[in-house]
Amino acid sequence: MSLEGWVPDVGQYLTLEEVVEFAFDYRGNTTIVKADGTEFVGYIFNRNTYGPEPFIEYFDESGEGPFTLRYSELANVKFTGKDTAAGNSWKAWLERKEREKAERVPAQVVPDPDPHRG
Amino acid sequence: MSVPLSQMWTVATYVLRQKLARRKRYPFVLMLEPLFRCNLACAGCGKIQYPAQILKKNLSVEKCLAAVEECGAPIVSIPGGEPLMYPDIDRLVAELVKRKKYVYLCTNAILLKEKLDLFTPSKYLSFSVHMDGLREEHDEAVCRDGVYDQAVPAIREAVARGFRVTTNSTLFDGASPLRMREFFDEMMSLGVEGMMVSPGYSYSKAPDQEHFLLQSRTHELFSKMLASPKKRWRFNQSPLFLRFLMGKHDFECTPWGNPTYNMFGWQRPCYLLQEGYARTFQELMDTTLWENYGKKSGNEKCRDCMVHCGYEATAVDYTFSSLKGFVETVGVTLTGKL
Repeated sequence: MSLEGWVPDVGQYLTLEEVVEFAFDYRGNTTIVKADGTEFVGYIFNRNTYGPEPFIEYFDESGEGPFTLRYSELANVKFTGKDTAAGNSWKAWLERKEREKAERVPAQVVPDPDPHRG
Repeated sequence: MSVPLSQMWTVATYVLRQKLARRKRYPFVLMLEPLFRCNLACAGCGKIQYPAQILKKNLSVEKCLAAVEECGAPIVSIPGGEPLMYPDIDRLVAELVKRKKYVYLCTNAILLKEKLDLFTPSKYLSFSVHMDGLREEHDEAVCRDGVYDQAVPAIREAVARGFRVTTNSTLFDGASPLRMREFFDEMMSLGVEGMMVSPGYSYSKAPDQEHFLLQSRTHELFSKMLASPKKRWRFNQSPLFLRFLMGKHDFECTPWGNPTYNMFGWQRPCYLLQEGYARTFQELMDTTLWENYGKKSGNEKCRDCMVHCGYEATAVDYTFSSLKGFVETVGVTLTGKL
């Protein structure tokens, strides 16, 4: 199941830390919502919660970066970009290959059961 | 076995230096990923699923070299992505060769023929061509017809021009031992220096989740495939690692053995799992919770993994850490019996 399109409802049942974990695992761009209400698009590739000031690391939409943003400056992450890991290309490729094979086999000539019909 | 003596000597003296320095953890092979983009989209690969702006990016040669210096491993493997799509691949390789690093440039060989002029044959440089089997199996693994037929002439050309050429094969569930034996014959006929084989690992991001090998199936497959190995087959890897794949050894993973560096930093904890990034190699070594990885840890992500990037380092370390390991390695090398 892909998280593409998900806008998390950060609050009592879903913490910001949990949303960041999902975002770290997500292979698509996200919209990063800052605590001051501003938003921008970026790819979150890391988070670090070891230190006294947990932070995320990201590249922006044009590939500039890496930039860091402290959790304290972050309000939410929206999963707005295409999930590039979604789908099943192996299965799709096998199906396409089977289809192509079937198309290469010449159509069988079925004998007409009634050759005398008009 | 076919690892050249000079390379064996370099690795052996490196290991001994680490032992003398009483280093508990040290890297063998740096996995250097200068880019993620590729001209193939193999179903078994979880490396290329990124947004466009990430796929367009390249690490600079300077950053690559800084990582190589920082890590200190004697061998540098350049996977990717497809490294021949990296615009500065010639300069990067030349700089690594100048530093006497043994370089394995991992390529699907689609661009190899046209890029060969960029390189100079050297004992330090080997093209490690991705070949997952004979024509039918390989094209199926890379999800594109015709790739095998592009790779074979490129291998011939590289061999003819005096380059070291090896192959690397990842095997998935359903692989036929008999067909793989035919494949080994075929690759040796092409004149490659040696072959590398490894079972696939189920990347969580790889689209094909159904065909990765479980441990018992790995033992069965490799035992059949490598039973009574032909004298002409040469493997460019530790014979003890091959014995491990056959179920004749029980090794533990060495996740720090093949550290990975890419545009995100130093990947924790290994080449296959992506659980975060450290900014420096030292930070990776010092702050990764290594006890959480490997079979003994009980980590389910590690349960069925038998991949070379975790276990070949263990096999090499075993060879140079104990007389038993050394004698066994020499015995297998001399007799060719796995």
